Amino acid sequence: MEFIIEILSIPIIQSILKIIFIILLFAMPLGTVLTLMERKWSAMIQDRVGPNRANIGKYTGHGLLHIAADGLKSIFKEDTIPHGANGFLYLIAPFFGMIAGVATFAIIPIAGPIGDFTFQVTDIEPGLLFIFAITSLSVYGAVLAGTSSNSKFALLGGTRASAQMISYEVFMGLALMGIFMVYGSTRVSVIVDGQNEYWFGNLIPMWGVFTQPLGFFLFFTALIAETKRAPFDAPEGESEIVAGYFLEYSGMRWSAFMLAEYIAVAGVAVLMTTLFFGGYHVPWLHLWESAPQWLITILQITKFSIVTIFFCWIQIQLRWTLPKFRFDQTMSLGWKKLLPLSLANTTLTAVVVLTFM
Amino acid sequence: MELKVKKVERIDGVRESFYIPAAFGGLRLTVRHFFRNLFGSKDVVTINYPEEKRPVSMRWRGRHRLTRKDDGFLKCVACYMCETVCPAKCIHIEAGEHPDFSIEKYPARFDIDELRCVFCGLCVEACPKEAIRMDTGVVAMAYSSRKTFDFTRDLLRDEYDPRKHDSPKYGDEDLPRPESKESALPNSQGIPAV
Amino acid sequence: MSLATQQLGSLVTTPPQGDSDTSIMKIEIGPSHPAMHGIVRFTTYLDGEVIVGMEPEIGYLHRGFEKESENSKWIQIVPYTDRLNYVSPLLNNIGYSMAVEKLYGIEPPKRAEYTRVIMGEISRITDHLTCVGAASMEVGAFTFFLWFIKAREYLWELVEEVTGARLTTNWTRFGGNATDIPDGFFDALQERLDKVKDIMAECDKLLTRNKIFIDRVKDVGTFSKEDAISFGFTGPMLRACGVPFDVRRSDPYSVYDEMDFEIPIGSTGDCFDRYLVRMEEIRQSISIIEQAADKMPAGPIMTDERLMHYPDKKEVYGNIEGLIDHFKLVMEGHQPPEGEVYVPTEGGNGEIGFYVVSDGSGDPVRVRMRPACFNYVEAMPAMTVGHYVADIVPIFGSVNMIGGELDR
Repeated sequence: MEFIIEILSIPIIQSILKIIFIILLFAMPLGTVLTLMERKWSAMIQDRVGPNRANIGKYTGHGLLHIAADGLKSIFKEDTIPHGANGFLYLIAPFFGMIAGVATFAIIPIAGPIGDFTFQVTDIEPGLLFIFAITSLSVYGAVLAGTSSNSKFALLGGTRASAQMISYEVFMGLALMGIFMVYGSTRVSVIVDGQNEYWFGNLIPMWGVFTQPLGFFLFFTALIAETKRAPFDAPEGESEIVAGYFLEYSGMRWSAFMLAEYIAVAGVAVLMTTLFFGGYHVPWLHLWESAPQWLITILQITKFSIVTIFFCWIQIQLRWTLPKFRFDQTMSLGWKKLLPLSLANTTLTAVVVLTFM
Repeated sequence: MELKVKKVERIDGVRESFYIPAAFGGLRLTVRHFFRNLFGSKDVVTINYPEEKRPVSMRWRGRHRLTRKDDGFLKCVACYMCETVCPAKCIHIEAGEHPDFSIEKYPARFDIDELRCVFCGLCVEACPKEAIRMDTGVVAMAYSSRKTFDFTRDLLRDEYDPRKHDSPKYGDEDLPRPESKESALPNSQGIPAV
Repeated sequence: MSLATQQLGSLVTTPPQGDSDTSIMKIEIGPSHPAMHGIVRFTTYLDGEVIVGMEPEIGYLHRGFEKESENSKWIQIVPYTDRLNYVSPLLNNIGYSMAVEKLYGIEPPKRAEYTRVIMGEISRITDHLTCVGAASMEVGAFTFFLWFIKAREYLWELVEEVTGARLTTNWTRFGGNATDIPDGFFDALQERLDKVKDIMAECDKLLTRNKIFIDRVKDVGTFSKEDAISFGFTGPMLRACGVPFDVRRSDPYSVYDEMDFEIPIGSTGDCFDRYLVRMEEIRQSISIIEQAADKMPAGPIMTDERLMHYPDKKEVYGNIEGLIDHFKLVMEGHQPPEGEVYVPTEGGNGEIGFYVVSDGSGDPVRVRMRPACFNYVEAMPAMTVGHYVADIVPIFGSVNMIGGELDR
């Protein structure tokens, strides 16, 4: 028993365990289950039953086995490489998106720290700037896939993807300026702890959504555009350019694109939770002073998961409610409407922070 | 009547230029559908085929069947009306003389190629004896070879079972025959069989 | 002549520059494409994302309707007409039967006319539901499409109650209809129409004032009145340009002059107007159906003329004249007198006309259908050049090209 505790207090073992639990056992299953949940929830919106037929013998599990079925099917499919495609770039393109999506989870805390042990893989000083840096890498995935496929539709999709993703990174950063100013740091744990303060004496928590409502909408829009989800999925076309930049992919590489997209959806949800909805802090829990530590941790993890799943659900709902933007409308929305609004938000926040805090 | 013209309203004003109100209106609608279907599937219109099947109306034109009289003989007298009127030319009949002279004519061969059939129902309308009907209620026929869709006279019956398609015990011997020439009925002209 | 018509010669065919210039990309929005409603091929020339040239190519669904009709009898052509504009089959049946009835010079009885109006308007509603649903699905609102398909299912079940099939209806005969309306139909009709109205109200809330949708369809594919008339547009496309032309009012047929309905027209002829016009037409069709259901007289559904219809089974079994009439009608078929006639009717997509020529024997000399969407697909280059490649989708969706009607 003491041997185990001694092993567990080595920092490297702790990091490895955190990576396993947070990324492999929270982020990736969430992304995988989302692939099925998208189909089931969209079916509920559209008055039909989603996939419910994959079965082992008599056990169907209301369609949960479709996840395994899809995975097995993709693995066994032929891995086609189109004639004339740039071999190396074509082969590595699907994985940039996955890297970016998964790396987002590296700085997100799931629950409050117990003593010295934080539920966060790493808590680096430029926390959120790390996110921006990693999402810039995901641009490569779309662009390389589009240009190395030797196909005109893919080229159109890749060009659109590159322009859209690069532009919306700017707005992502600008929308967050307000958060940095209000909570005073780019370090994620400082921002999350800053949301534990209360206004009017224990009445309203200082969540990001209350201190920065405009920033919330702007950041949410920018993130949905960055991950190329509807209504901003012009690079993915599907009506005019059939499938956009991942047109020529088949089998597991295509599944990698899809999985990267859903992990990005989960990544967006955890970012929104952490920055705007208090992260893991359960509101008014500090009033119950005699709560045991394990209960607090479990409540925090539960609250975090619920808000994350809510945001995943909202993104899926938005996809099936709103029509798609045309590509030039996406760009003009960004540069002509979001940019002035985010600059105004930054200025206003600066004025308020300087005056009142 | 005079021409009544209505100009359609194109609404694109200030309220629409904020994307949010329309997005919230749409979200309210889809969320309402979502929650109605989450608990109890109130609006779901999917039919779980093959466990449930969609009920078809009485007039649904399905697979053909040849009707029979009360004593079990086919009503069809091989008059070639249905073969003539079929637009897809999928019916092939050969008339034959039945040993029982009270039945003057019967189809020795009555083949319908169900793959060529367009299910128009003109054969049912053209038949003067109401011998061919399409009211079996069969919505879809699925077999694994094209040859199986060539339905012969004995497969076009009421109690046809798709699973026993290839091993029918139906044959010409299924049509009732008189025991002997003496007991055969005279034909409609009154000419006796013997 | 407007500017667009003058420039048409340069828009339609060859690529604007030679092969050595690589700034123009030739892309095939080809026959198999998720957004092509029937099967049609557009060879598009793109400069970046802007379309600079387009050539449509049709004929992928040509099945030889006219040639096949020459080798059939008159009554055997009715199942072929189902498959022309296959989302509104009853309107084609009605058009063809009216053409042959005009050759004969007879009219169906009143009850048959009213039931034809009801079934025809139901078909028109299904046509518009399919068109608007598919167009919005491609613009991105998938939910809209599936709700409209749900509404269409309700109507198809009604059609199945009356005719015996959902799509291949084969319902009208020369001088009347094949079957009468069953009992309990009017209650089911009212119930279903209420459901369709509910779904239409929901979808209206979802799309009509949604800025994202308006941006996609407004000022896209604008077409002026003069261009539309010179191309030969009819139907909702022409009405969206502002011309109040409807065959049901300009050449009234059947009992449409007893029905009270309005003709919706647009102002600019862009995709937004076409969408609004079609939605309004669905509402007008619902009101026509309700009026016809109220005014429905009792009576026969088939004319009394000899050798136009199969006699009653009583006559066929009873006396020899009935039997002879039945056999003559089947073996020799209908024999309309010599003549040629063109009867325009308002189809789901525009004016569909049937031009039939008879020489007095039982074999048709010529049966031709005027396709309404032929003119629209011909005008596709004029509508799309100058727009973005993503605009092909709402434009083509609003054109409502049905492969069966275009290629016959």
